[in-house]
Amino acid sequence: MITGNHAAATAAVLAGRANRSGRGFCSGVYPITPSTECMEFLCLQDIEKGHVVKVESEHSAMAVCIGASVSGARSFTTTAGNGLIYMAENVMVAAFLRLPVVMVVGNRAVGPPWNIWTDHSDSLALRDSGWIQIYCGNNQEVFDAVLIAFRIAEDHRVLMPVMVCQEGFVLSHTMALTEIADQTQVDQFLPQLNLPHRLAQTPRVVGSFTSSRMIEAHREQHHNAMRMAWDVYTEAQTDFEKTFDRRPPDPVVTYRTEDAELVLVSMGTIAETVNRVVDNLRDRGLRIGSVRVTMFRPFPFDALKKAFTGISRIAVIDRDISLGFGGVLWGEVRSLAQPGMVVQNYVSGLGGGDVRPEHVEQMVKDALERKTTGPSIFVGVGE
Amino acid sequence: MNTKAKDTEGSENRGVSGCDLKSVLSKIKLPLEIRIHGRGGQGGVTCAKLCALVYSRLGLFAQTFGDYGMERAGAPIRAYTRIDGNPIKNRNKIYTPGHLLILDPSLLESGALVGAPHGSMVLLNTPDRLSSFHGFCEEFRFAIVNATQIARKHGIGASSVVIVNTAFVGAYARVVSLPIEMVRETYSSLGLLNDFAAAQEAYDAVNIREAITPVRFPDEAPDSVPGSPVEVIPLTELTQDMPTPLKTGSWRTQAPKYVTLTPPCNYACPAGNDVVGFIQKFHNFGLEASSEILLATQPLPSVCGRVCPAPCMESCNRALYDGAVNIRGLERWIGDHASNYPIPVKASANPKTVAIIGGGPAGISAAYFLARAGHKVDILDNQAKLGGVLRNGIPAYRLPEDVLDRDLERLEALGVSHRPHELITPLRLKQIALEYHAVIVATGQAESIIPRLAGVDLPGVEQGLTFLNRVKSKGRENIRGTVAVIGGGNTALDCAGTTLRCGADKVVIVYRRGQTEMPAIKEEIRDILVEGVELVLCRQPVRIIGDKAVTGLEVAEVELGDPDESGRKRPLVTNNLSVISCDHVLIAVGQTANRGILPSDWVVTKQRVYAGEEPTNVWLAGDFSAAEGTVAHAIGSGRKIAMDVMNCLSDSTESCVGNSSSIPELVSADNINLFCFPRREILEDIHLDVSTRTHSFEEVNLGILSGEESRRCLSCGNCAHCDACLIYCPEGIITRSGQDYLINLDYCKGCGICVYECPRHAMEMSLKS
Amino acid sequence: MNRPESYQNSHLLRPGNTNCGGCGMSIAFQMFKRSIGDTPVQLVLPACCAAVAAGGFPFSAYGAPVLLSTFASAASTATGMAQVARLNSEDIRVVCWAGDGGTYDIGMASLSGAAERNEDILFICYDNEIYGNTGGQRSSATPAGAGATNILKGKIEPKKDIMSIIAAHGIPYAATVSLADPDDARRKFQRSIKEKGFRFLLILSPCPTGWKSDPSMTIELVRLAVRSGLFPVLEVENGSRWTINVEPDFSKDDLARYVSLQRRFKKSEIKPDEMGAEIDLKWKTVRMLAGCNTGV
Repeated sequence: MITGNHAAATAAVLAGRANRSGRGFCSGVYPITPSTECMEFLCLQDIEKGHVVKVESEHSAMAVCIGASVSGARSFTTTAGNGLIYMAENVMVAAFLRLPVVMVVGNRAVGPPWNIWTDHSDSLALRDSGWIQIYCGNNQEVFDAVLIAFRIAEDHRVLMPVMVCQEGFVLSHTMALTEIADQTQVDQFLPQLNLPHRLAQTPRVVGSFTSSRMIEAHREQHHNAMRMAWDVYTEAQTDFEKTFDRRPPDPVVTYRTEDAELVLVSMGTIAETVNRVVDNLRDRGLRIGSVRVTMFRPFPFDALKKAFTGISRIAVIDRDISLGFGGVLWGEVRSLAQPGMVVQNYVSGLGGGDVRPEHVEQMVKDALERKTTGPSIFVGVGE
Repeated sequence: MNTKAKDTEGSENRGVSGCDLKSVLSKIKLPLEIRIHGRGGQGGVTCAKLCALVYSRLGLFAQTFGDYGMERAGAPIRAYTRIDGNPIKNRNKIYTPGHLLILDPSLLESGALVGAPHGSMVLLNTPDRLSSFHGFCEEFRFAIVNATQIARKHGIGASSVVIVNTAFVGAYARVVSLPIEMVRETYSSLGLLNDFAAAQEAYDAVNIREAITPVRFPDEAPDSVPGSPVEVIPLTELTQDMPTPLKTGSWRTQAPKYVTLTPPCNYACPAGNDVVGFIQKFHNFGLEASSEILLATQPLPSVCGRVCPAPCMESCNRALYDGAVNIRGLERWIGDHASNYPIPVKASANPKTVAIIGGGPAGISAAYFLARAGHKVDILDNQAKLGGVLRNGIPAYRLPEDVLDRDLERLEALGVSHRPHELITPLRLKQIALEYHAVIVATGQAESIIPRLAGVDLPGVEQGLTFLNRVKSKGRENIRGTVAVIGGGNTALDCAGTTLRCGADKVVIVYRRGQTEMPAIKEEIRDILVEGVELVLCRQPVRIIGDKAVTGLEVAEVELGDPDESGRKRPLVTNNLSVISCDHVLIAVGQTANRGILPSDWVVTKQRVYAGEEPTNVWLAGDFSAAEGTVAHAIGSGRKIAMDVMNCLSDSTESCVGNSSSIPELVSADNINLFCFPRREILEDIHLDVSTRTHSFEEVNLGILSGEESRRCLSCGNCAHCDACLIYCPEGIITRSGQDYLINLDYCKGCGICVYECPRHAMEMSLKS
Repeated sequence: MNRPESYQNSHLLRPGNTNCGGCGMSIAFQMFKRSIGDTPVQLVLPACCAAVAAGGFPFSAYGAPVLLSTFASAASTATGMAQVARLNSEDIRVVCWAGDGGTYDIGMASLSGAAERNEDILFICYDNEIYGNTGGQRSSATPAGAGATNILKGKIEPKKDIMSIIAAHGIPYAATVSLADPDDARRKFQRSIKEKGFRFLLILSPCPTGWKSDPSMTIELVRLAVRSGLFPVLEVENGSRWTINVEPDFSKDDLARYVSLQRRFKKSEIKPDEMGAEIDLKWKTVRMLAGCNTGV
């Protein structure tokens, strides 16, 4: 029985140790609710050929990871909410330098108003930062995702950082039975990191200036590598299953979408609630299903397209808001809408608001009734 | 990145005084695209802006922007200006400019002309003439101006980063027939009127050549110049070192170079010694190496190192800083301590015989250089031993005989033969001239001047030189009472010092001018005063008093008048008389050459004897020909004549060192970075204690205790390999291999730090050609 | 004068870099390299002229591995590199080479953090007293009286006393470096590259472009700043033992010449006397801290 934070930290420690035959593990960390316990746990572990630097800010925490990673070490950090936003500049740098850093974000509302509870707005604000983003649904997924994140990040076809998102408190502070792997298994799953562009002794500038046409080429290469991540993820899933005897979730997880008239699309733990509602309402004869997006970047177009086959109504539940637009997830999903399809957005659960089955039922009711897509609807506000 | 680009779009017609706007406007083909190529720091972006502002005064729309890169001063930059009668909507860069303004000629090689359609106008900033562009840019209307020179002349920008834009726009106005008045008004509105004179000069100076090859436009012009896609190395795959390929030398407008200039000491040395040369050699390579340099110009270093008044030290750039380098002391140290190794004799292909009349310093010097060059030299002298005044005149306490002998050993080793006790008469001289290929007469000034003074024949009155010679050859005499010495030169001092050592109770030197006017060596005057000799200054002896023997010297007070041609104050004798009571009078008022030994039919012109119009094989050297009075002068003269003789005998063109008549560029103290040299006390000569020295003829001046003094030499105008240039070079492109520095001009940005920092002015900046 | 033997092919800052002619930072790089010889280094350059000088991808104007970090995080990025080097027992020295902006201002927090943690980093600040990279805006290192593009009439506040701040961290070694005193500079470069733990060097680095001075005057300006007392040349061991390495002569003439050789002081019309008062104050503190330690 461990919390999401401890699951994440434990996985990070195992992964870090697994690189002891390589160039080791080095991490920069800084406390912030709700990720503090993850960093604390990490700091208290004895990691062979590893070091955790307790820096003076999130910005520096990521900078340490950049320095460590560019030197060929495995690197990990964790933060949340405003911490992530403060870190943002270096978050992007890690990606644009194509460094395989793994970060666990304990999703938290970005203040003010100050609020320490969960919300996807922090990590989604960094949607375009060049990181792979995985949104977890439970503690086990958090543990597994950290391991698999290193695997994808360090794959030479990918080589970019991965953000593992767990909802603050909902996962980070909730204890649940979690299967922990042993070191030999992790050693087997995560071979030593061999960074091709490691900064060693050869004179070379990492992160130098480029002309306009050259930066386009580098962005294109980065973009193409993102698209490789699906294949690499699939391979990793299989390998993971072989090693640990359980399979991490697909980039898109469907639940009872067959013959559905309406699917509810969500990320993170809300999907569990949605699934419960699906079961209830299916019992009452409503043809509804649930789709959970676990990998938000690269965005799983194909898997979602497949999941939406034959469906005419989509309800997208966003635990985030792009002000002046609507839910971020909704925006992405809507790009897959076929003509005549209703793709309605429901914003709920910001700042840790509990998204209960009643809220989801409200959404289902509205989604089934409406003729056209309307503006985003806030559900549960002010209760 | 810096984004200072400012659009100055749209403008109202402000009107231009005194210009026919319509005719100006009618000549402009719109829309007009101008592309400027410059280097960071030249003001290219502002140049584009100025062009736009000038056009906007015509009521035209203008747009201007710079193409900012990450480069710095000196790096290529581009700027663009568009002019149109309508609002400008095109925001692309300019690929097919109608006017190309190129602020640095080296940019021509880096694609400045790309895209310009035939018939475009190209204005180039270049120091070259129009004729040197034959066959180049002929498809363009081509104009050139030397804006850098003009801007530099007007002091716009820094010496290494000249801002040329304001001058250049003046030239541009001329090329496109815009009235210069419009430029003036534009500058006025911007507060740039100070730069207008440069613009006006450039306006007048520009040279234009019309397009020569047929103009074919506009169909030839490419639409744009995008390059073909280049494969870009992914960030994750760059693992190699790829050094920057940029050759920043092209940014430079001026370049440093190493120079060797004449230090003032070298120039001042009458003997022509390479003072800096031998001192630096000593400092870096030690005694023997230094001695080799010294002996190349100086046959008597130990002698000169004792008796020379050292004009080199007076001119030393360190003199006013912390005291002149003790050059004389160093010369003596080297002369005394270096081994008397055999001087290498150059085998002459055509050895000659030379007779030298007179074994004093000039004769010795001439003999030395002739012998070194492989000639057979005989010195004919009336004395038993060589040395002349060095042996007979200068007292042993100043110049011990063994010192002279040691210097002379080298002469002997060179095979110079000495024929003593030769009495020279005009007839004998003529004979000698027939026996030898050449003859050099260097008998010095052997005749004492006897002043017309009542009482000179009294017992107790004697010529100073006679006295000195006698004491030198026969030893100390006993003198009692008071001695009055008449004169202010070294002989007078030597007489005073010698009489003191002979036991005189009191010695006075009577001189008609002030102490500063005394021709004697300053240090010698100081020494003699310390020894107790009194100076009676501004007194002209008028009569020696005495019946059977001297009892006194009557002197008249002298007032000092205006300086005479020698720069010394002219003495004006008054009637104010007084008497100095004394028992001896020594006269040392000067010597003169005995010209009587020259045959009467010999005519001397420029130290050479002529028989009628024809030059003979006889030369004169040293004090015999020109009374310069010091050993160093005599040595210099001897060498010069020796060289002349060799030139004439061998028809060789080998010139004599220091014989150049033009005054070389000297390094003054202002040229020296004195702050690089910590103040350091002079290593002074050590002197024998006063109480002991007056009782013996022991050498008074013991010289310096070590050669340490050499480190005080600034090596003015001569690279001393201090590495300052190398250490301070921002590009790290100055390298040293042994004694040579090399500047890699491929990369030199011409900042000038090396030149400024050179402590000793051994570098100079020159404009890029 | 130091006498380098051979260094032809071992530049740290290579010829062909795009720094302006007469750049003080370039000189610092050349002196640094000659001092440290073949000691392997990795450079971390936050946003500054030194980063721009690195050249466009894929080329390098540096003869060492370089990471361009974000403006604020040179010291923390270097931390990661230095820690990994330590974990792998590598004999590589990580050097941050930052401008005054990346040190005094935006880089202060990460610098302070790394100093407090005593990371094994050499942090070198080449101080040109402005944001030179962006064209010359004021920084907290800009001295009173100096103009900048965003404060034409000259700064009123005095320069931040970075050495006291750094010393307060109690790091093993901190020193100011005068480019006009190459022997002292060499000693400091050599000591600081070898020493373990956090080391800090402050180099007064004239910027001919920003200071509006003649490029050939770069060293002269440093010399004048040192002689006039404007730039104290000192070192601090373990945050407590202060030593004055070059004794100024506090010459008013030198101060006046320092000001007159640059056009950045023109608009403020600051008088050397006013600057002299500031210098006196600064030196009172320095003398108090140094006690009788003089390395002169």
